[in-house]
Amino acid sequence: MPAVIETQKLTKVYESSFRSQDVRALQDLDLTIDSGEIFGYLGPNGSGKTTTIKLLLGLIFPTSGTMRILGSDDIGAAAVKRRIGYLPEGAYYPDFLRGEEVLRFYGHLYGLGGSDLTRRIDKTIETVGMTGARKRMIRGYSKGMRQRIGLAQALLSDPDLLILDEPTTGLDPIARKEIRDILSNLRDQGKTLLISSHELLEVELISNRVGILYNGVLQTIGTVDELLTQRDVLIHITDPTGGLIAKLNTAGLHVEDATATKMVVRVPENLSVYDALEICRAEKATIQSIAPRRETLEELFVRVVGAAENKTLA
Amino acid sequence: MSEVASFVRGTWTIAVYTWREGMRKKILMAILIFSVLVIAGSNFMTSFLTQVTPVGEIDMQAKQMKDLCVTAISIFGVLITIFISASVVPSEVENKVIYTVLSKPVRRFQYLLGKFAGVQLIVILNLILMTALFFVALYLKERIMPTLLLWSTLLTYFEFLIVSAFTFALSCAATSAVLPTIAGLFIYITGNLTEYLKDVFAKSGQTELWIDKMIGYISLGLYQILPNLQNFSLKNQILYLASNDPPRDILLPNLIAYGLLYAVAGYVMAYWIFRRKEM
Ligand SMILES: Nc1ncnc2c1ncn2[C@@H]1O[C@H](COP(=O)(O)OP(=O)(O)OP(=O)(O)O)[C@@H](O)[C@H]1O
Ligand SMILES: [Mg+2]
Repeated sequence: MPAVIETQKLTKVYESSFRSQDVRALQDLDLTIDSGEIFGYLGPNGSGKTTTIKLLLGLIFPTSGTMRILGSDDIGAAAVKRRIGYLPEGAYYPDFLRGEEVLRFYGHLYGLGGSDLTRRIDKTIETVGMTGARKRMIRGYSKGMRQRIGLAQALLSDPDLLILDEPTTGLDPIARKEIRDILSNLRDQGKTLLISSHELLEVELISNRVGILYNGVLQTIGTVDELLTQRDVLIHITDPTGGLIAKLNTAGLHVEDATATKMVVRVPENLSVYDALEICRAEKATIQSIAPRRETLEELFVRVVGAAENKTLA
Repeated sequence: MSEVASFVRGTWTIAVYTWREGMRKKILMAILIFSVLVIAGSNFMTSFLTQVTPVGEIDMQAKQMKDLCVTAISIFGVLITIFISASVVPSEVENKVIYTVLSKPVRRFQYLLGKFAGVQLIVILNLILMTALFFVALYLKERIMPTLLLWSTLLTYFEFLIVSAFTFALSCAATSAVLPTIAGLFIYITGNLTEYLKDVFAKSGQTELWIDKMIGYISLGLYQILPNLQNFSLKNQILYLASNDPPRDILLPNLIAYGLLYAVAGYVMAYWIFRRKEM
């Protein structure tokens, strides 16, 4: 199956009047996203996520490098854009229109019309949970409502590829959950999704591949299972004795959440769990549970970005 | 749906939306209301002005009224034209609505055409409104159908079209509406003074000073590049001919072709700038 998104050495430099102030926002990005993938595009503020997305949509133009979307290298082609839904970052919609009128406007731009369009509008408004506010002016919408309308316009044409720039920013926890459900639903329908986000927990829940960008350079990329391999083992203990912590520490083990009655011992991958258990037994602590613990996406993110930061400073 | 039909439909959607949004701009409404007041009140104003003049000066009164109305239509009309042409694209870039619009199956060329058509809808509508008022006011005064006004409005529209196209083009390069508005006013004013530029060239070169010659050549250059907007004015005919006369001494098709040519040049320039614009 051909890649849905494919970039080669994609580079973007924002030029300013002084060369020294040029911003190298994206550097030699090689990114391939296959059909049916949910790709989580991560990176700290200003790392180049939005820049990549705008390049893919033809809103800005690459300084060098190539890209293909849905098998075409004509980024502006109507036939390609017909199959893409895009939710911009912090976007704004014609605010003199009502929610449903905005969708009608975008629908017309997709070449949709008549009862087909009406049906789609009803459906997407239902999906994003805006039925109650569909007849209200966008001007009076809250941030979350705007975000939902934005999602609705991206979903309207039932696109094969969805590009979502921070889809859950500004949403309350329940709305986040709803959006997450919508996205997993799309995943089950076999759509391809590119989601830029700072919500690492969410990305971990729905993506199957992630890439982490720092300073315009892709630092790491892979499936969630591949990347989050580092497994520590956590040993939950009750009734620890006084000398236990000191002994564990000398053995190079971390103790977390220690109280008078219980604590958690973290055994890093490179140390033996048996040794740790041996120490605990010698100190007559009660072992409650032993469980492997996978690194979270957040930890990976902090680690990768931290390493990249050190490299640039060095 | 065929390619052409979908192209036309997409363009029309953008045009109508531009028009609906433009008509909401407060400054545009203010100009429009003001011009309506001036035209509707012109009858009253001129009779007030001429109270001091001797009786039997009906003719004089009508002339003053026409003068006021023609001037009002061109000034307010051109202000609306410039303001709206200068702002539709920058305001949409600024509020980022353009991101979602351009990510739909819409070519940049088509987007721009839709925007430009929307601007023309606004300009035409305002012009029709102002002319209709003037038409009625003049009819009430003279009791003859002032058909000459319609010709004048037609030509005025083509004048506005030229100003609009160039202002629009410059607005595609700008980040706000301020500079293109100023440039639009400059185009309108110098476009009305091109005869004067020719004079400057004719009179230059009398001294041997290089600066004198340079000014002469700049004037000549401007004269040759700038459209002569005076060609589109029927003001004198409106003032001195009977209101129901046909227009005299003008080649209407040629003028329209002249206007269209400049407008197309302006639009091509707009597209050339917009084609690679970064959002
Ligand atoms: N139009 C522009 N002109 C100049 N520099 C720009 C422009 N847009 C973005 N940049 C710069 O490019 C870099 C990448 O910005 P980008 O918006 O892609 O980051 P991002 O990863 O989306 O960040 P965030 O998480 O804050 O949205 C930043 O240094 C930013 O300042
Ligand atoms: Mg961003």
